[in-house]
Amino acid sequence: MAAGIALMVLLIAAHFSGSIALGSAPRVELAWMPQIGLNFILRLDGFAWSFVVLVSAIGLLVILYARYYLSPDDPVPRFYSFLLGFMGAMLGIVVSGHLLLIVFFWELTSLYSFLLISYWNQSQNARDGARITLMVTSMGGLCLLAGMLLLGHIVGSYDLDVVLRSGAIVITHPLYLPTLLLIAVGVLTKSAQFPFHFWLPRAMAAPTPVSAYLHSAAMVKAGVFLLARLWPVMAGNDYWFWIFTTLGVTTLLFGAFMALFQQDLKGLLAYSTMSHLGLITLLLGLGSPLAAVAAIFHIMNHATFKASLFMAAGIIDHEAGTRDIRRLGGLVHAMPVTAALAMVAAAAMAGVPLLNGFLSKEMFFAETIESHVTSVLDDALPYLATLAGVFSVAYSLRLIHQVFFGPPASDLPRVPHDPVVWMLLPVGILVLICVLVGVAPQATVGGFLGIATRGVLGDATPQYSLVVWHGFTPALWMSLIAVVGGIISYAALQTYLSGNVEGPPILRRLKGQRIFERAVAVVSWRGAKSLVQSLSSTRLQPQIALLLCVTLLAAAWPLGKGWVDFRVPRPHEVDVSFLFVWIVGCVCAVAAAYQAKFHRLAAVILMGGAGLSTCLTFAWASAPDLALTQLLVEIVTTVLLLLGLRWLPKRWEEANRPLDPATAARRVRDFAIAGVGGAGLAALAYAVMTRPLANSISANFLEKSYTQGGGRNVVNVILVDFRGFDTLGEITVLGTVAITVFALLRRFRPARDSVTLPEQKDFQDRFDAEHIGASQEQVSAHYMIVPGLIMRLLFPVVAMMAAFLLLRGHDLPGGGFVAGLTLAIAFILQYIAGGARWVEARLTVRPVRWIGFGLLAAAGTGIGAAFFGRPFLSSAFRYVDLPILGRLPVASALLFDLGVFALVLGATVLVLIALAHQSLRISRVAGKPVPSSEGST
Amino acid sequence: MELVISVTIGFLAASGLWLLLRPRTFQVIIGLSLLSYAVNLFIFAMGRLRIGAPPVLDPSVAPSLASYADPLPQALVLTAIVIGFAMTALFLVVLLAGRGLSGSDHVDGVERGP
Amino acid sequence: MTVADHLIIAPIIIPLVAGGIMLLLDGRRREAVAAIGIFATLAQLAVAIALLVTSAKEDPASMVRVYLLGDWPASFGIVLVADRLAALMLLLTATLGCAALLFSLASWHREGSYFHPLFQFLLMGLNGAFLTGDLFNLFVFFEVLLAASYGLALHGSGRARVSASLHYIVINLVASSLFLIGVSLIYGTAGTLNMAALAERIAMLDPTDRRLFEIGAAVLGVAFLVKAGAWPLGFWLPGLYGAASAPVAAVFGIMTKVGFYAILRLGSLTAGAAGGTSIFFGEGWLFAIGAATIGFAAIGMLASQDMGRLAGYNVLASSGTLLAAIGFGGTAMTSAALFYLVSSTLTVAAFFLLVELLERGRSVADDVLAVTLEAYGSEEATDAEEEEEVGVAIPAIIAALGVAFLACALLISGLPPLSGFLAKFAILNSVLGEHQLARAGIVSVHGWILLFAILVSSLATIIAVTRAGIRTFWTFTDRELPAVRRVELGAVALLIMLCVALTVQAGPVMRFMQATANGLDLSRAYVGAVQGRPHSTPHAAERKP
Repeated sequence: MAAGIALMVLLIAAHFSGSIALGSAPRVELAWMPQIGLNFILRLDGFAWSFVVLVSAIGLLVILYARYYLSPDDPVPRFYSFLLGFMGAMLGIVVSGHLLLIVFFWELTSLYSFLLISYWNQSQNARDGARITLMVTSMGGLCLLAGMLLLGHIVGSYDLDVVLRSGAIVITHPLYLPTLLLIAVGVLTKSAQFPFHFWLPRAMAAPTPVSAYLHSAAMVKAGVFLLARLWPVMAGNDYWFWIFTTLGVTTLLFGAFMALFQQDLKGLLAYSTMSHLGLITLLLGLGSPLAAVAAIFHIMNHATFKASLFMAAGIIDHEAGTRDIRRLGGLVHAMPVTAALAMVAAAAMAGVPLLNGFLSKEMFFAETIESHVTSVLDDALPYLATLAGVFSVAYSLRLIHQVFFGPPASDLPRVPHDPVVWMLLPVGILVLICVLVGVAPQATVGGFLGIATRGVLGDATPQYSLVVWHGFTPALWMSLIAVVGGIISYAALQTYLSGNVEGPPILRRLKGQRIFERAVAVVSWRGAKSLVQSLSSTRLQPQIALLLCVTLLAAAWPLGKGWVDFRVPRPHEVDVSFLFVWIVGCVCAVAAAYQAKFHRLAAVILMGGAGLSTCLTFAWASAPDLALTQLLVEIVTTVLLLLGLRWLPKRWEEANRPLDPATAARRVRDFAIAGVGGAGLAALAYAVMTRPLANSISANFLEKSYTQGGGRNVVNVILVDFRGFDTLGEITVLGTVAITVFALLRRFRPARDSVTLPEQKDFQDRFDAEHIGASQEQVSAHYMIVPGLIMRLLFPVVAMMAAFLLLRGHDLPGGGFVAGLTLAIAFILQYIAGGARWVEARLTVRPVRWIGFGLLAAAGTGIGAAFFGRPFLSSAFRYVDLPILGRLPVASALLFDLGVFALVLGATVLVLIALAHQSLRISRVAGKPVPSSEGST
Repeated sequence: MELVISVTIGFLAASGLWLLLRPRTFQVIIGLSLLSYAVNLFIFAMGRLRIGAPPVLDPSVAPSLASYADPLPQALVLTAIVIGFAMTALFLVVLLAGRGLSGSDHVDGVERGP
Repeated sequence: MTVADHLIIAPIIIPLVAGGIMLLLDGRRREAVAAIGIFATLAQLAVAIALLVTSAKEDPASMVRVYLLGDWPASFGIVLVADRLAALMLLLTATLGCAALLFSLASWHREGSYFHPLFQFLLMGLNGAFLTGDLFNLFVFFEVLLAASYGLALHGSGRARVSASLHYIVINLVASSLFLIGVSLIYGTAGTLNMAALAERIAMLDPTDRRLFEIGAAVLGVAFLVKAGAWPLGFWLPGLYGAASAPVAAVFGIMTKVGFYAILRLGSLTAGAAGGTSIFFGEGWLFAIGAATIGFAAIGMLASQDMGRLAGYNVLASSGTLLAAIGFGGTAMTSAALFYLVSSTLTVAAFFLLVELLERGRSVADDVLAVTLEAYGSEEATDAEEEEEVGVAIPAIIAALGVAFLACALLISGLPPLSGFLAKFAILNSVLGEHQLARAGIVSVHGWILLFAILVSSLATIIAVTRAGIRTFWTFTDRELPAVRRVELGAVALLIMLCVALTVQAGPVMRFMQATANGLDLSRAYVGAVQGRPHSTPHAAERKP
């Protein structure tokens, strides 16, 4: 099935071959986000086509191979779906004709490689390998994204065709360097070039088929593919040369050197991949067309022999049970076929004549001799190249010799033998290609290569000859030197290598990926933690302080543009009595602030004082409604606070405890903030109050209140009519809070130390028990009889008053809210008189219902208007004469007010009950914590 | 007169803010209430002061801002008072619950330093 | 008034009535209550879609529609305004609501009392905040949604929730006082509360009044920034969101967007009238704050151990990106930001829901262990040769969760192929494309900063999410599987599917976003519609100085 798909891709590619050969580039375009120039463009030119063939062909072989490699009880579907996804992503990179699309598929390959490498995720190795691969490559991907954005920005279009055409603009553009750097990081990370090489060896943890694919045709080749793709646009600039040549040659040497010292078969191959990619990068970096040809040629050759080698290594691992070169040996007898194939492939890798590796290697040598940019590096290149050649010959030789020859290995986990033919077939095919290409290049690969190179270079494609024998060129000499030198150096190092060493003598210590991991761990974990701690705070006080400071700054900002000019106060001469009221008020406030920590009761009372003077202010400044409301709210709040006090811990003032400097400093800071804030607010208030209010919309309210709103009490009319919508929201808030409180208190668990009864109550009980000898119930039944009786008698009166306030609200101070609070207070009185049990026993309608009813009534009133084809909350009114109350306006708003009334009553009572009830529950189950299941009503 | 009100607002706000910055939940709740007084007065002040104006519309007086206190801020203050009341209640209960669950009345639920 | 007109207020009335009925039922008959909740939410979804479709029409009359409450003229009554932006936000809210409600039906709504009414009130608050055209009414709806959010944050009680909520409540109460101060100051200087009217009056204020007005606006702006969780005012957010129950956290995802919405709305309105500059302490500051928020969130994501906090920081990151984008300015950027807003909100919601499923039956201990293991490296990691190399079959449920997680990870870290990538690209593209300098090939300093910030933050996200994912999924072998209901997975899947749809239909969506952004730019259309003046066509608006 999977193989079928791969085959299909291959056939499709074959189908296109005809037209491609003629140099045409078919393209498909679908609009995706045209507004921001993101379209789904696929284009298939020669280069892309050749890669499609490469990717799908090797993919096919790998799939075939994996079928027999994986053990039968593997969850194969997952594996194949990942593998195919990987292949798809790779093909996507290759054929996409839009810069962003390339990035898009680029990231996908990273993702899939992550999934594939971590396929055996039970092993720590696989996890780490996968994680590092993802980190490195996705970092590169992000850089690439930025680079592509810049590139597209420079060119003015993300369309690859356009970009390819506008090389001239790009190279001279001021943004060229940053673009190049960003793209370079992307490319280098992907194809494991020097500073970012370390993920590749780690990726060996993947199943061998995956490594075979990843190393030969897919993942790492994406980098060089992109490099070649952008070659015509960006190459030919000194930066380009320096970056890629330097890093390329470094990787070439480093990889080859490391490979020589690996003990793990796959490790050796991995490092050799690295060095070969370095070679390709170097070639592309040189920037001459011929070098590019050599690079493309080598990409293909490397794909063939490296894939076959990995598969062979896989076979060996599979059959012999280990990949440790030291333990292996003499396998040529055990598995002749495998040995033969592997040897040919390795020879190709070493660049032995009559094999494909030789051809591209020789081109490479030839290119290094050509001088491109006169510089030390350029002069040194041939020697470095030869040196690298020596290494590569050496490690190939080592691979062959130590694995297949020498004394037959004794202590192998399994008895090695040649595998089933289906497992050998893919290797065989690839090796065959190696040989054919090596023997008769022009005949076999000539056309293919031609198409590919023309895809990149277009008309600039240079003349090159694909023949085995160029005569005694310097390049040939270099090859020979490499071969000989390789043999010698291997012979010299053989004993050392068979010893028990991991890695080369010097570089053994230096482990790129370990350093990287440490770095990442430090930066991304410990560093981040400490940074967060220093940048933020989970404590409340600093946050509040910060908030206030920011506010002050923000408020001070506009003053930067100019000062606010204070007018002289208009004549409202200071009224002494009022002044006195406020002196008291301020004293109360400050005292409250001072007392709040140790004398809570005092603080509550003082706060009430401040509240009362506020209330007086309202009354005095001709706002009776406010005064009334403020007063009632004051009462209820105080009661709530008093009910709450009982659950707070006791705290006594330590006698003049010395203040430690930190606390002192904090207090000074807070004092400053508070002072500045208060002063600022005062200044603002003063500044505004001493200025005339230009055309306020309130005039409308005054005019229309009676004529259209049907009420003399403008404030109330605003509340229930002009801005009734606000009131609707406001009562919703009240209701919400009430049910929240209720829900929360159901789960209420008091702290240990406040579970026991307060000593006054305790004393009272003991007293009763001793002197009266009656039980709690009887006692609480008749305590405070007289005042209790009065309060009970009071209840209907207060209720009447509430009704009165409600009804007349439209014309005189009052209204639903005030009425609701009044009645609520009546209930409070009953509590004080009869105690919680008494009231709850007589409370028939549950307050939550009142809340619901209130909401519905208010909303219903509003909706009613809709039936008269008028908007929500449109009101209608007329006057009616009622017996006692006299002439009353019956506005639909009244109904609305009724809703408000019900809700306020319900909410307030609900909160009070919930809070007052706690003491009952606790005293009922004194000591042990309350089971949360127990409801509170 | 305006001066007195302004200074008052300043004092209320300052003591409120000071309490907000204290470590004990109870102090914070008192602070919030004081702050809300200040804010209410502030809103009220935004309608300028009008002393001795008739509280409700009086047919004999022309309905204009010159002769009445600005009603809109009053309405706003009423809304603000109600919401403030609700929030105070809520916060009270939350701080009780917090105290119950964490055993401490520190705003962070855990005692820090002195 | 036709039914179509009344649709504008429906998003507020439906949840209100639904909540009221639920309270009348008073907690009894859970099924009935839940049914009402579902019905109400679906109804809101339908209404939102209808409004969106209407507003998407090109004819100016339906672009901005005004609803006069109580039939009082807009000059002094309260108005609701349904334009494209509002409709968009409504739709987003309703969608999230549906998903979260669906999720909660599995178990969460039984955790404590009154989940459903609170949920409805929260939706009501959100919808109201998006619709209203009156400053004080905005405050009221902020309070509604805050009150409901307090209730929901406390939903299920427990020490962590209560102490997190305590901070949340205090900070937001202070913010509310700031809001009041700002609003009243604005009224005291400009003499009106109607946003459209304000936009007009700013120009006519005398210098001192103007200055006082700006102070008011600045204080107001701070209140909004607190809602948006901008650095340095958003430290409460990750803790709270992490502690809140999953469906609640999912809906909270949009609450930060309310702050952003308010800034965008008022900013664009006033900018249109007051000569280009937003009243909120200028673009420069907004941009700086946004960038700082992104950075802080990135670090926070790296530093967070449990995924709940990680998701919380991700919320910060997205709102930081939005603020920075708005601060950056420009129509193209605004439309990109809107696209990002939709994508990121859906994503984060999905992630919150998913995290809750994953964290079931996990202890903090193994998180710490996993992290330290990574931090200090495990030397025995090198001898994995002996482990037998056979892939382990993965239980179906884990596979499903894994796919979902993968999708979420891609989305929040903005990797291809999902909408997260598109959104990121859209923003970055307009970073480069926006400025006039662009032609000269120079990218502004702001541009570089934003580019850098966004890329770094997505890298941080990748690292953090990978870490979390690895230690969650590849340790499933050694712990019991989480019990996951089908509806819960369904909710997550729904959100992810929406993101996928967003990806596929990116073109049309983006077109709508651009139309919205254009609508915001010519605020005269809005003002005109509210003031009931004959609508001035865009071109006319352009021609006016």
